[in-house]
Order: sequence, then structure tokens, then C-alpha cells
Amino acid sequence: MTLFSSFLQLLSLLLLICAVTAEHTSNWAVLVSTSRFWFNYRHLANVLSLYRTVKRLGIPDSQIILMLPDDMACNPRNAFPGTVYSNADRAVDLYGDNIEVDYRGYEVTVENFIRLLTDRLDEDVPRSKRLGSDAGSNVLVYMTGHGGDQFLKFQDAEEIGAWDLADAFGQMWEKKRYHELLFMIDTCQANTMYTHFYSPNIVATGSSELDQSSYSHHADNDVGVAVIDRWTYYVLEFLETQVTSANSKLNLGDLFDSYDESKIHSQPGVRWDLFPGGEQEGRLRTVVDFFGNVQNVEVENANATEPGSLKEDLAEIARLVEKWQRRDVEYSAILNNSTEQQTGSPSVHLPRKQTVGPTRMTDDSSWGKRLVGISVVGACTAIWVAGSYLGRSVA
Amino acid sequence: MALKSAIRNLRNNPQLLFVRLPPLLSLICILVGVAWLLLLPLNEYSRHTYISENALLPGQVHAYFTGSEQNIFRGYKQELKVLLNEGGQSENGQDEAEFTPAISAKIQSILQVAGLKVATQKYEYTSAGITHQGENTYGIIHAPRGDATEAIVLVAAWKTADDELNLNGVTLALTLARYFKRWSLWSKDIIFLFTPDSKSGTQAWIDAYHDLHPASVHPLPLKSGALQGALVIEYPFEHRFRNLHIVYDGVNGQLPNLDLFNTAVAIAGGQMGIGANLQEMWEHDDSYEARLQTMLRGMTKQGLGYATGAHSSFMPYHIDAITLQPKGEGWEDEMALGRTIESLCRSLNNLLEHLHQSFFFYLLMQSNRFVSIGTYLPSAMLIAGNFTIMAIALWMRTGFHPDNRAEKSTNPKPTEKTVTPISKDASAPEISGHTIAERLLALPLTLVTGLHLLGLVPLWMFNTLPHQLFTTVTYVVVAVDIVFPLLLAALLRNGLGLFTPLVPQQYLLIKSFALLLLGLSLSTLATLNFSLSFMIGLLCAPLSFINRLQCTGVKRYAFSGLGLVLLNLLSPPTVLIGVCWYTGVSVETVLTQAAFGWDVWGMWTQVVVWCVWWPAWLIGCVLLGSSMF
Repeated sequence: MTLFSSFLQLLSLLLLICAVTAEHTSNWAVLVSTSRFWFNYRHLANVLSLYRTVKRLGIPDSQIILMLPDDMACNPRNAFPGTVYSNADRAVDLYGDNIEVDYRGYEVTVENFIRLLTDRLDEDVPRSKRLGSDAGSNVLVYMTGHGGDQFLKFQDAEEIGAWDLADAFGQMWEKKRYHELLFMIDTCQANTMYTHFYSPNIVATGSSELDQSSYSHHADNDVGVAVIDRWTYYVLEFLETQVTSANSKLNLGDLFDSYDESKIHSQPGVRWDLFPGGEQEGRLRTVVDFFGNVQNVEVENANATEPGSLKEDLAEIARLVEKWQRRDVEYSAILNNSTEQQTGSPSVHLPRKQTVGPTRMTDDSSWGKRLVGISVVGACTAIWVAGSYLGRSVA
Repeated sequence: MALKSAIRNLRNNPQLLFVRLPPLLSLICILVGVAWLLLLPLNEYSRHTYISENALLPGQVHAYFTGSEQNIFRGYKQELKVLLNEGGQSENGQDEAEFTPAISAKIQSILQVAGLKVATQKYEYTSAGITHQGENTYGIIHAPRGDATEAIVLVAAWKTADDELNLNGVTLALTLARYFKRWSLWSKDIIFLFTPDSKSGTQAWIDAYHDLHPASVHPLPLKSGALQGALVIEYPFEHRFRNLHIVYDGVNGQLPNLDLFNTAVAIAGGQMGIGANLQEMWEHDDSYEARLQTMLRGMTKQGLGYATGAHSSFMPYHIDAITLQPKGEGWEDEMALGRTIESLCRSLNNLLEHLHQSFFFYLLMQSNRFVSIGTYLPSAMLIAGNFTIMAIALWMRTGFHPDNRAEKSTNPKPTEKTVTPISKDASAPEISGHTIAERLLALPLTLVTGLHLLGLVPLWMFNTLPHQLFTTVTYVVVAVDIVFPLLLAALLRNGLGLFTPLVPQQYLLIKSFALLLLGLSLSTLATLNFSLSFMIGLLCAPLSFINRLQCTGVKRYAFSGLGLVLLNLLSPPTVLIGVCWYTGVSVETVLTQAAFGWDVWGMWTQVVVWCVWWPAWLIGCVLLGSSMF
């Protein structure tokens, strides 16, 4: 019995640890390629490879926002119509049968991307184009394209700056749109893109430092273009060979330790300081915390007092009400003072509150209108009857 | 302060400012201009070529044109050869083999069987009494998954630019047409054009493609989209080749985008392992001399402005085009050339927009080294500027009365005499800054304008007379060039009762206007055709320093006579004869070619020669000749 009880204790302890480390309740992924044109085939292949990986690890299409600015599969230059490959061995067709592109072509703009993150979208925008994450969601944001020092080019027409991105994540945090966020970017001078982030719970990683280029990994001699970028290739290699199932216990530390500069040909970077507990804590997050999908359900404890709980919310509302009442009184006092000074009248009068009552939709003259109506209908009926009677007599 | 007073002194000394200084400045301009050009081949001034257009991706695709395609090639070649022999041609007489209707029909049937849309176009040009006529045959592969808005052209002329039978080239184009038709990855239409010759066929076709053809050329029954690039295939021999000679000069010195040339070099060298040559430099050791020679050859072709191959006709329409010529004895066969073309077509197929990233104005000195317009332009500009400096100085100088009292005492021994034997200082009467003279403009203006208009006469003659007369007319013009300036000088000197004889000021004004026009034309031309402007500028350089001689007696006759002889050696027709003698080409050939260029290609070189160079030269002779009377 003692053995069994100790086992139970251990189990409950384990569950407790699990609850602490994986306290998010949903997973979302935002996968963005920002460049179009045939010679940027690899950027779309990058994104599609990652799309395939997160789907494999369990994130459903409804929780993946895929942004593809160009259609490589249907490009007339594609020697293999209808396919996109990220490897010259062409073992896996990334386009496959089931792929949901949420933003395509010229819809992939900086504005749409920021609106997506911050949920500033019209009511009529379909759910497939919305990031429905909440305070319990772990969000993976992956971007690739052509970039530079603190900017990332969108479609040869515009660019998103490091501050724009930082502010978008800042707003997401304020609007409780993520619990933890993993930001990955593969572009030239990628690490400059996350330098300005300021909202908490973000782990950011990029492919290359300031003044460094990110390179493509290899080209397919039949497709005729480079098919994947180096950093993404090695990240994927880790994900595909090590993280084989959604139950994988490999953590972010393992992923980032797998970076090999001699293979990537640029210096990848990781930013931990926004994460509570810093690197030590961040390394412990499992890869599937961001790439996989969890089915955890958060059961609200009515007695809990931590941030976000019902009790705390109620207390906060009560505090707000109190605060506004206090301000109301203060405001009227100030108003009185000013009128006193101006007119010198001693009378104190609070600003009159006019209660706006419901207005009647009907009034007394409605009966008169009804009478008129009835008489008109009656007259018409009489004419009709008379007419039909007369007509018959003539015939 | 010292500088300030120096400047004040200079301003108060018109003699120094307008008489002594300008020739010196002009001379410095010319010397620096030439030295500048000679510096260009150095590593410090030239640059490595690079591919500027991201979309091209040269050599990234595997070229599959090999193996069984060779059998197709042999088959097609045999079919064409049979027709050659049927035409009564022996093996030796193959070079005379004409592009007969039977061959055209065979090409059409081959293209049709391969699945291309086929059409023909008849054309006829008449130039210098010679009629050039023929029939172009072409077929179009419509991009299976693309929109028909853009196209690439592959040209195989029956006769190469050197008038050799291009049997292998034509066969290769036919084989490629069949091969390309089976790929589904074309984003642009591909047009295969077969012309009877390299001179007129492509011109007729491209003119008609843009609906700008003359009445003697038939319109095209079949068209495609905007042309993005053109490749001309030549393979006029039977053995294997070693190197690929890339010809890129267009009509009027226009050049294709450097990216196209670079792509060809990158694919030939990087992917296929075939070396690339340019400007007939078969042995290029990358030394200074070799680079300079390459550059000068390129400049000569650019300056003369003639079409160097079938590709040249595309350039005026802003279609980038090159000719690929296999050269030398080696181990590369027609399949290697085919693969190179396949890879080039794949690169052009990748283009998203017209080639525009790289340079259109450049001088190549090695297949991987070039200078761009910003680096070389000052050279021709300085030479053109020397005329303008002299023109302005002369204009300023005519604003002062010559101070005759000072003439005897300070008659300056011409400092320019040391510079060149024919440069004589006519500024003997010293000018002073206190007297302002009125300029007598009417006669100088009329004379300069009249002589420039007179240039239209030889221009018309050399472009309309039958070619048999060209040699004779050239010698006539040489004779006229000797006599006419002297007659004109005598007329101006004595007036012959028609007008008052010219005063010295008017001679200076004539020279001023002539040099002003020359400087203006050449500096404008330098931006369009650098080489032509540079060459004409150098040939005209003595004109800056020629004046009426003021010395007395026998000396005057001796110097002016000698000067006239030297100047006549630099007259346009004499230079032409000299160059023809040096290169061993007959004058008639050159002038027939030039007339053809004017009539068919729209070549402007003659206009520059007869309406810019010749009048300026004539005025120089008149000035020098006037010192005889």
C-alpha cells in the first residue's frame, strides 16, 4: 500500500510538473514567405517545409496561417507542374494534396500581416484568415524572405521594420493573444529583426547576424533554382530526424544546440531575455510546445488568485468601478469650484442627469389612421364588387 | 591673396586668356583624353563582370540535349544535304549553295512535323544598285503554360556573317526546335528564325515584326509577344570546335545588355567548360596589351557602327542579342553548342522582365573584364571638349580689336609650333583688353552653315550611286577635297567683286563656329556612340590648332603648303583609302557595305562623317589655304 500511495504521489507530482510547464491550451503557427518570383522558389519551399512539419506534429490547418506570395507549383517555368520540392531528391512533394494557403499572392502585405497578428480585421474576414489565439496559445511565427538590417522585404514593394514587428507582438501581448511565442526568421541579417522586441514570453531565433548573408543550401538542377535555405534546412533536419512524434521530449535547447555554423555558413542567434527565467527556463520548453499541438484543457479554479483568474478579474473590475466613482466626485468638485469662481453664486448644483426614457412608438392619432385605412379598403372593395357585378350584367 | 591677384591679372590679360592659354588647354584635353583611354585596361580602372539580374540563374539547370538528339541532328542534316546536292552543287561548291525554296520547304516541313506553327516572309532590298532578296522561314513554339506575351528568338542564317554555309547551325536549330517543343517549362514563346543570309534577312523580319518594314518587305503572317532576347547560332564547318566566339556589337555601336553576354560566358565557361572569346582575340593572355587590343577592336566595330552578324539588327529595337560562333579545333561537338544554347534559353526563360539590370554602355576587354560608361566617357568628352574650349576662346578673342602697334614688337613666336608642325599661331596681332570690337557674323555664319549642308551632297552620292562607281567617286572626292578649299580660300580672300574680302576677325569667327559645332556634335555623340566620337575627335584634333598663317614670304607658302598636304592626308576619303589599303579590303566593298547599312540597317556613321567631320575638315583647309592668297 505504501508503495502504491508513493506511486500515486509521484504521479500527481508529475502531472503537476506537466501542468506547470505546458500550461498553454492551444497552438498556432504563422508561416510567412515574403518574396515572390521564380528565382525565390526556395523561400516558398522553406515555408512549405515548415508547414508540413507543424502539420505532422499535430497543428491542424485551422490553426496554421500560411502566407504564400507566389504560386511556384503553377509557374510555367516549373519543370514539375503542380509540385514544390525542398530537396533535389524530390522525395516529398510539399504541395501535395492537402494544403491550405490562407493568404496568397498580393494578399501577403505588411498591413495584412500586422492586422492578422493584432486581430485588427473586419468582421467579414473569414476565420481562416484570422489568428484566433488567446492568452493560452503558444504561437510559432516563422518568416523568410529577403531582408536587411532591421527590415524584411515584402514582395519587392514594401518592408516590415524590426520596430513594426516588435510593436505588433507588443499589442498581441496586451490583447492576450499569446501565452508564449517562438519567433523564427531566415533571411539575410535576420538577427536584427528581433532586436527591438519588448513584450515578455518571446523566444526569438534567426539565421544570421548583422552584415551577414543567409545562404541557400542547394539547387535542384532540373527545377533550375535553389530549393531551400541553409538554416531552414538544418532546422528541418533536426525536426524531421529527432522530433519524430508529438510526444518528443526534445526541448528548444536541443534545437538551438544543433545549429552548426560550419554548415549554416552564418551565425544563427537566439534571444532569451524576454522569456521569464531567461535561457535556463526557455531551454526547457519542448520543441512540440511550439511545433506540436496540445490538447490541454485549462480548468479554471474559482479560488485562484493568479493573473487571469476570475477572482482577480472581478477584483479588478471592482477597483475600476471605485476609481471611476471617485473621479466622478472629483470632477464635479472641480466643476463647482470653477463656476463658483466665475459667477460667485453660492448655490451648489451637480450636473443634472437627464434620464433618457423609452419613447412610445405609437401615439393617439393611430386610431384615426386606422379608420382612414379601413374606409379606403372598404371603398375599394365596394368599387370592385360593383364593377364585377356590372361587368357580368353587361356580358 | 596671391591667388586672387593672379586671377585678377589673368582677367586683365586677354592676350594670355584667349590666345595663349586655350591651345594649351585644348592640347592637355586631348592628351589626357587619350591617356585616359590607355589607362582603362588596368586592373584599377576596369571591373570584373558580374551577373546583375537575379532571375537569370545561369548554368543552374542540367542541359539534357545530348545522346539520341544527335541522331535526330544527323538525320536532319542528311535531309538538307540531299537538297544541296540536288541543286547541282558539288562538295566544293557548297559555299555557293543558295537558300532555295526547296530548302525552305524542307525546313517548314521539319518544323511542322515537330509541332510548330510555321510561316514565311518574302523581302527585297535594293542598295547601291544591288538587289538583295530572299525568304525568311520561321516557326513558333507557343509556351505551353505561359501567356503569349513574351518570346525568345533563335536565329540560324543559311549563310553566316562571313558568308559561309551554316549547315550545322541550321540543322542544330531544327533539332533544338524539335527538342524544345517537348519541354513544358517555357514561360515565353520560342521563335526559330531561318534566314537566307546574315545581313538582310533578320533585318526584314525584325522590322516586319514591329510593323516598321518598308514596302518591299512583306508583313509577318504569324507573330508572338514582345521579344526578350535573341541568340544567333553559327556552325559553318564540319570539325569539332574548341572555343565559343561571342559577337555582341550592334548597328550604330549599340550593345546588348551586359547581363546577356555575361550569362553566355558563364554558361559556356562555368557549365559547359567551353572557353569564350570576343573580338577575334583567339589568344588572350589577360595582359595589358591583349586587353587594350580587345578594347580597341571593340571600339573600332562600335565606331564604324556596322552590323557584325545577324544579331545586330535586333539591337535598335532594344532586343538583346548575341551571335555564338564556334571557333578553333577542339573536342566540343554540335551537341555541346546545343547544350549551351539550351542552358541559355533556360536562363532567358527565367527572366521576369526585360534585361535592364546591367550595363548597356560598356567596353569589354576580356570575357570577364569591362569598363562602364561612367569610367570611359570622360575620355571622349575631353577630346570633344577641346574643340569647345577653342571655339569659346576664339569667340571671346574676336570681341577685342587687334592692337597693331604691338604686332611688330611682341609678335610671339608661336608656342604651339613645338606641338605640331601644322599648328601655326595666327594671333600675331596682339589683342588688348581696352578696345571692344564689333563682330561681323553674317558671312562666317553663312559659310559654316553652307559647308555643313554641302556635306549632304557626298552623303547622297555615296548612298545612292551604283556600287561600280564608288571607287571612282572616292578618288574624285579626294581631288575635290584638294582643290575646293583652295578655290574657296581664294574667293574669300579676294571677294571677286561679290563681297568685300574677309578681315582676320571673320576667319577667327569661321573657325570658332566650325569648332563649336564640332565640339557640340561630338560631345552629344559621345554619349550615344563613344567610339565614333572618340575616333572622329582624334582625327579632327589638328583642326583646333589650325589658323591662317601670318608669317611672310616663302615661309608662309611653304608652311601652308605643307600643312595642306598633311591635312589632306587626314581628309575623310583619304583616311578611307588609307584604311582600306592597310586592311586589304577594297574601297568599293566598304562603301557598298556602308550604303547597305544606310539603306537597310539604318546606320548613321556616314551622316557623322559627311555632315560633322567633313565640313569641319573643309573649314580647316579653307583657313590654312587662305594664308596662301
